Amino acid sequence: MPEREARVIVFRSVEEMPPMPVSLGTTLYNKTGSWRYIRPVYRERTPPCSHACPAGEDIVAYLGLVADGRFREAWECLRRENPFPGVCGRVCPHPCEANCNRERLGGAIAIHEVERFLSDWAAEQGIVPAPGQPTRPERVAVVGSGPAGLSCAYHLALQGYPVTVYEADALPGGMLRTGIPSYRLPREVLNREIAAIEALGVEIRTGMRLGGNLSWDELATYPAVFLALGQQRSRALGVPGEEAEGVLHGLDFLKRVNRGETVPIGRRVVVVGGGNTAMDAARVARRLGAEVTVVYRRSRAEMPAIAEEVEEAEEEGVTFLFLAAPLEVLVEQGHVRGLRATRMRLGEPDASGRRRPEPIPGSEFILEADTVLPALGQEADLEGLPPDVGVEAGRVRIERSGETTRRGVFAGGDVATGLGTVTAAIGSGKRAALAIGRFLRGEPQPEYPPLPENVRAFPRPVLPEVVTFEELNTAYLRREPRPEARLRPAGERLHDWAEVRQGLELETAVAEGRRCFSCGTCNRCDNCLNFCPDISVRRRGDWHAGHPTYPYYEFDYDYCKGCGVCASECPRHAITMEEELLWRR
Amino acid sequence: MEKVITGNYAVSYGAKLARAQVIAAYPITPQTSIIEKLAAFCADGELDAVFIKVESEHSAMAACIGASATGARAFTATSGQGLLLMHEMLHWAAGGRHPVVMGAVNRGIAPGWSVWTEQSDTLAQRDTGWIQYYCESNQEVLDTVIQAFKVAETVLLPAMVVLDAFVLSHTSEVVDIPDQAEVDAYLPPFRPRWKLDVDDPHAFGALVTPNEWFELRYKIQQAMQEALEVARQADEEFGRRFGRRWGVVESYRMEGAEVALVTSSTITSTAREVVDAMRQEGIPIGLVKVRLFRPFPVPDIIEALSAVDKIAVLDRNLTFGQCGVFGEEIKAALYDSPRRPPVFDFVLGLGGRDVTPATIRQVAEYTLQHETPEERIIWVGVKR
Repeated sequence: MPEREARVIVFRSVEEMPPMPVSLGTTLYNKTGSWRYIRPVYRERTPPCSHACPAGEDIVAYLGLVADGRFREAWECLRRENPFPGVCGRVCPHPCEANCNRERLGGAIAIHEVERFLSDWAAEQGIVPAPGQPTRPERVAVVGSGPAGLSCAYHLALQGYPVTVYEADALPGGMLRTGIPSYRLPREVLNREIAAIEALGVEIRTGMRLGGNLSWDELATYPAVFLALGQQRSRALGVPGEEAEGVLHGLDFLKRVNRGETVPIGRRVVVVGGGNTAMDAARVARRLGAEVTVVYRRSRAEMPAIAEEVEEAEEEGVTFLFLAAPLEVLVEQGHVRGLRATRMRLGEPDASGRRRPEPIPGSEFILEADTVLPALGQEADLEGLPPDVGVEAGRVRIERSGETTRRGVFAGGDVATGLGTVTAAIGSGKRAALAIGRFLRGEPQPEYPPLPENVRAFPRPVLPEVVTFEELNTAYLRREPRPEARLRPAGERLHDWAEVRQGLELETAVAEGRRCFSCGTCNRCDNCLNFCPDISVRRRGDWHAGHPTYPYYEFDYDYCKGCGVCASECPRHAITMEEELLWRR
Repeated sequence: MEKVITGNYAVSYGAKLARAQVIAAYPITPQTSIIEKLAAFCADGELDAVFIKVESEHSAMAACIGASATGARAFTATSGQGLLLMHEMLHWAAGGRHPVVMGAVNRGIAPGWSVWTEQSDTLAQRDTGWIQYYCESNQEVLDTVIQAFKVAETVLLPAMVVLDAFVLSHTSEVVDIPDQAEVDAYLPPFRPRWKLDVDDPHAFGALVTPNEWFELRYKIQQAMQEALEVARQADEEFGRRFGRRWGVVESYRMEGAEVALVTSSTITSTAREVVDAMRQEGIPIGLVKVRLFRPFPVPDIIEALSAVDKIAVLDRNLTFGQCGVFGEEIKAALYDSPRRPPVFDFVLGLGGRDVTPATIRQVAEYTLQHETPEERIIWVGVKR
């Protein structure tokens, strides 16, 4: 044990002295940390990806695990927040990537591809999520087995609650099964992720329609109910002639094809709309052999559909007619023969921030068609709900927690939010599950952020500030390109219903994990340790044996002088400098 | 193994054979190819060293000092303005007793800008406590880098190996590259008694009161004095092992010489030719080459020069307000000699102006023709 006391040495001759100015005693007694007025503290911040993820995935955490080749832990980390990684990796519009700081240095991390990789990898390895048994007495009813309903059921089950899910259709999955074609979402992926939820003791009762064979009185016997009915009613075209034979709502068309029915369509199909349902309908119609034209009243930039879906539709030979809107369905002998349409132009921005389309006078034209598939969005069908479940703007009215106006009844997903994406539905179902748990346990509800901001079921201590690109130390961050997506050739994929996108190879997934900046999140890069001029950063845990302990480093405040080099050299902005006085108090 | 290499590469090979562990350097003409080669050695795995890119020569020296303080063998190279920017850290290296070795390529000091050779940059550092060698050939450069580490680490003082810009730095000669195993046997790893150690922390370079300061300076001077004998022995041992010796001072054709030319660096080679020619003509002239400048080898100088009648010092440098630096040093050394022949101090070749055999013959003839110098500085070739 080295001495820690100051020692005074008096030299009697030059021979006793060392050659250079060096202290003979140790300097450990000199606690230079007392000079410090600001101290470094590891404080992780929110990365933009997980902030943007409506499902609340801890993206930076699982990317870091993938970078280390720890796929199993990555998959478990991913599934803790979202039971549908295989689904979301395929059909989520990935707002995480739109916000990724990597965008500026080579392209956003292909997060959805890594997410999908993890789900498929686990399935290939035969890894099945651990089954579970309810531990609490209160059984919760969930109405609707779409992503919101099943996410709610999953997160209730994780809290120990038994759940019964009621589904009107013959098979569970909601819009995931009926609305999304299998070339985007193979059914085995959906089935395995639903099966894993059932393995937690969640009971799914199909063929139970609210207002039909499922009465509100039956639901009212449950201590808590979650309504996740989705939006089942397609919006009308609102032009004369739309009742004619050959006009079929896009979503109904998809539902019937997805159920395996033979749907008669003509040679020339016109799809009206610019969302994902429109793209799905167009691409399904192409696979059924039709010539397809998509008519959209705004321009390409305003299309709500995922950009990749539009590109893939184009590759598959779908024709786009932008800035055009139908005025009338032309009918001959009761059957569609075309559309009378008008050219549009973009005017002033409307409430959605997009420029409002206006007809150009005198620009009418005829578009011949044998089948017209309007895909203009859906509305909620609220039949069967009791009058004390309040409604607002055609949707069930909810608090941020998901509570409706009726005590014990919660709602989420499109029937309440209208947000229209799988991940928003999953996030809203999870949030309601957490709120229902608190309600059943008699706990107060915390303040929830507005949807689609997320809530974590398993939160980490992370500061809420979102790390910007400017806050990263780019001296350590090279430009590295995003991998190209692997797609089957367009000509080949028109002949079958097999998946278009091929996912990532294992090596590419690992490379994506490594390419992640790990914004606001320590990933053991050692910069703080290497740059500390006072040797006051130490690793925690036995790193030689591969056992780092979180947080990975600790500061030796006895000797840290508070210079801040660690914080400024941290590439990811995961160290803050805090006033010493605040710590001394 | 023999290779045709430039003087700069000779520096690089010397540092590589010495197994420098940390190299911190900033590029400057005419030094650049030294560190480029070393960087390549590091990148190719031929040299197991940390190459630190720095933002200035001041930082380069600071990094070398830090590395040396931890017990690493540290090397750098610079020239002219870069050396001047290092000045503060040169004192620190010596005062902290860090045996860093540096390749220093002589270059005229701006303004006006010059990239050509002149010794004023290194000679301006003579009071920093650095050992200084001035080299005549590429082979001598390589050998001296290795010797310099040995001497520096023995006495715990830093050392400069000096070579002329372009005349050596960018001129290729056949150089024998010694075997690594032989160099390893000659130069064992650096194991300092005092070093920075996280597990046994001590304060280095802290405040020193008048009670100890004086003694620390005394010790540096003692080490410098010791370095002279250490340098002689290091050269002898080198000669035994590698078959080449350079001496701290070399006498050339001094038998019966009445006039001695005193030279350093590459002017020496030209002067040898002139001495040979004049000897053939029967003129009793010889040459004394000063290789080790710090510590100044006073006894060796007295021994070599006290017997002649006249001494001509060739200075490719100038200390303003005095004279050429070698002239000044030779005069000071001879003050301790029982015989003090007149010293003619010739200042020539500044800023890389060519020093040809004709220039040196002019120096020799002036010395032969005059009993004593007419001026304190005899300017050679100044258009006045």
